[in-house]
Amino acid sequence: MASPHTVHAGTRAGRLGALLGAATLLGLLSVPFWAGRADMRLIVEMACFLALAQMWNLMAGYAGLVSIGQQAYVGIGGYALFALAMHGGVPPLLALPLAGLIAALVAVPTAFVVFRLRGAYFAIGTWVVAEVFRLSLAQVTALGGGTGQSLPAAIVRAIAASAEGRDRLIYFTGIALAVGATALVFLLLRSRHGLALTALRDAEGAAESLGVDSFRTRLWVYIVAALGTGMIGALIFLQKLRISPDAAFSVGDWTANVIFIVVIGGIGRIEGPIVGTLVFFALRALLADYGTWYMIVLGAVAVVVMLKAPQGLWGLVADRFDLDFFPVRRLVRGPTP
Amino acid sequence: MREITRRGALKGSAAGLAAAGVIGAPAIAQARRIKIGYVSPQTGPLAPFAEADNFVIAGVREATKAGLSIGGRNQPFEILVKDSQSNPNRAAEVASDLILKDEVDLMLVASTPETTNPVCDQCEVNEVPCVSSVAPWQPWFFARGGKPDTGFKYTYHFFWGLEDVIAVYTNMWGQVPTNKSVGGLFPNDGDGNAWGDKERGFPPVLGKLGYKLTDPGRFQNLNDNFSAQISAFKAANVEVVTGVVIPPDLTTFWNQAQQQGFKPKAVSIGKALLFPVVLEGLGNAGHNLSTEVWWTPHHPFKSSLTGARAQQLADGYTQASKKQWTQPIGFVHALFEVAVDVMKRSKGAGERASVLDAAAKTRLDTIVGPIAWGAGPVKNVAKTPLVGGQWRRGGTFKYDLVITDNQTAPNIPIAGKMEAIG
Repeated sequence: MASPHTVHAGTRAGRLGALLGAATLLGLLSVPFWAGRADMRLIVEMACFLALAQMWNLMAGYAGLVSIGQQAYVGIGGYALFALAMHGGVPPLLALPLAGLIAALVAVPTAFVVFRLRGAYFAIGTWVVAEVFRLSLAQVTALGGGTGQSLPAAIVRAIAASAEGRDRLIYFTGIALAVGATALVFLLLRSRHGLALTALRDAEGAAESLGVDSFRTRLWVYIVAALGTGMIGALIFLQKLRISPDAAFSVGDWTANVIFIVVIGGIGRIEGPIVGTLVFFALRALLADYGTWYMIVLGAVAVVVMLKAPQGLWGLVADRFDLDFFPVRRLVRGPTP
Repeated sequence: MREITRRGALKGSAAGLAAAGVIGAPAIAQARRIKIGYVSPQTGPLAPFAEADNFVIAGVREATKAGLSIGGRNQPFEILVKDSQSNPNRAAEVASDLILKDEVDLMLVASTPETTNPVCDQCEVNEVPCVSSVAPWQPWFFARGGKPDTGFKYTYHFFWGLEDVIAVYTNMWGQVPTNKSVGGLFPNDGDGNAWGDKERGFPPVLGKLGYKLTDPGRFQNLNDNFSAQISAFKAANVEVVTGVVIPPDLTTFWNQAQQQGFKPKAVSIGKALLFPVVLEGLGNAGHNLSTEVWWTPHHPFKSSLTGARAQQLADGYTQASKKQWTQPIGFVHALFEVAVDVMKRSKGAGERASVLDAAAKTRLDTIVGPIAWGAGPVKNVAKTPLVGGQWRRGGTFKYDLVITDNQTAPNIPIAGKMEAIG
């Protein structure tokens, strides 16, 4: 006899979310046909931070892996791009997925080291690993050592002959990465693995007793996040044109800012990084010219949000209006009378 | 309840602002206005380099407030200033903003390869003329992949080079009797790798001049223990120490050297000894430490823009800020002198090709000396004079920089003889 209860994941807001998402995507795809180069570059930068934030949110918000060392994979991705494009002759755009793969490969042995640590120790451990990569790359003279290296203008021009063509290709790549990262997190959480992940996050002991393999599940999340982060890192440094160990493995730029975005927006929600990215860039546009005050305001905003709205800005809105544009929760519905 | 609405409104407006920033209207042709972009490290660890920026830029704005007359028409002169936050990533970002959003006609950038190189790279790829300064030319040229026979197309630099600093240092050491045993402190960064380079840095030249160099290898910046270097120097009986280190590392090194009884006769260090605040941090132990000197109020040059002599510019700064003058004041002012001169000789705003052409043909006597590209060591580099000096206690300020060697540029007057430390 079938149970009168049904499990379902779809919500009305979810269908609305799909519509909104499709409309936003169409809008974004039309941008190169009417906006200026500066606007496109800003959107790509936002897309990179959104994708980084989705990857970090997947780890911290869903798998309980609070890493402060994701700059390790941004840096490895960036250096892989420079190595492949300058020394391997690989076309830069083709080097992006390869850079992601290299980051994922590096993540495997790294995971076996850092997974021996828990909680705060895991967080510090990941940071130490990132520093080890930074110091190691500073010794590789072929990649510029501590001085760093510039991508020759000829390699950049090889992407496309005109500046406009280059901007478009990089723009679509950036959008693809951001949409891909968001879709990946959404689909992953809708799958069996997502169920296992949320179970682990909420009650590790109980989940394991029900047959969830905690090590393997988390290992996969860590590797997938490294893959995504590595590709984003390669795209970031393709635009920066210059890499040095301090820039590539900057904990402030690639991890502190990303944590800010996720925490402000709402950790453990797919909408969180989107809202956080908008807030972060709005604050930067308004305040970045005020020097030290910009940093002080960022810190103050983070403190206030963490105290007054620990579930983030999106959490406030979502709970108040029961909105869930990316439904990944499973709801049990009783028998209809 | 109320709080939620307010917060919601706040978030709404923030998101709205973000959207407005994203979907800004495409640039519309507007009244001809010359736009100069300027990037420097105004906050972060490199901030002392940009300490005088506000003062210098206020002076330039005053001198150009009537606009420039180009081809018989008047064009307003606008300066857009951006902070690199001492971060190469941010430097590339703000440069890209100035190029793409503000569409500057000419970019200026100053202070350390960590600032000049990312900005110049953005200009080279985006085809915007750029003038850069306050970084020795080798880490600016070679670390960006420059080839001596082709050089760069859009980026130009004026400053001195390693060959000059080596000459200045060895001239200074020649005034003090030593055993010619030199210890090198070269960190693993843009400057350190260039200074310690076995082909283009200190080692080959010192060897030729009969000095014996002890180089214990590259170390990371913000090192908290120099015992290894100090014991290597003691073992080699080093009497002269040189290198290019960041200010906190110099303080650590010099304090540990005193504690461990290492007493060299001459210490000539680049970068760390530029700013008087670092010397003040050493208490009395900074007396007679020496450094290269690229600009002082005593340099016999005057501004092509305001007519002010070096002394007048420095006095103006001390008057306005109640602080001691620093070397970057002259060079930041000179960057803007070049900018005004280049724009005057070009076809004006919106004519990047003619701006580039004018920049390449620059011949200008500035407050840091004559600047002209073409006679330099490579196509895009012009050299300015360099002399040497020692920090001495007991002048107008707690420490004063006294020029003690001018064999490399005899037109710059010396104010004393080189003295051994201790």
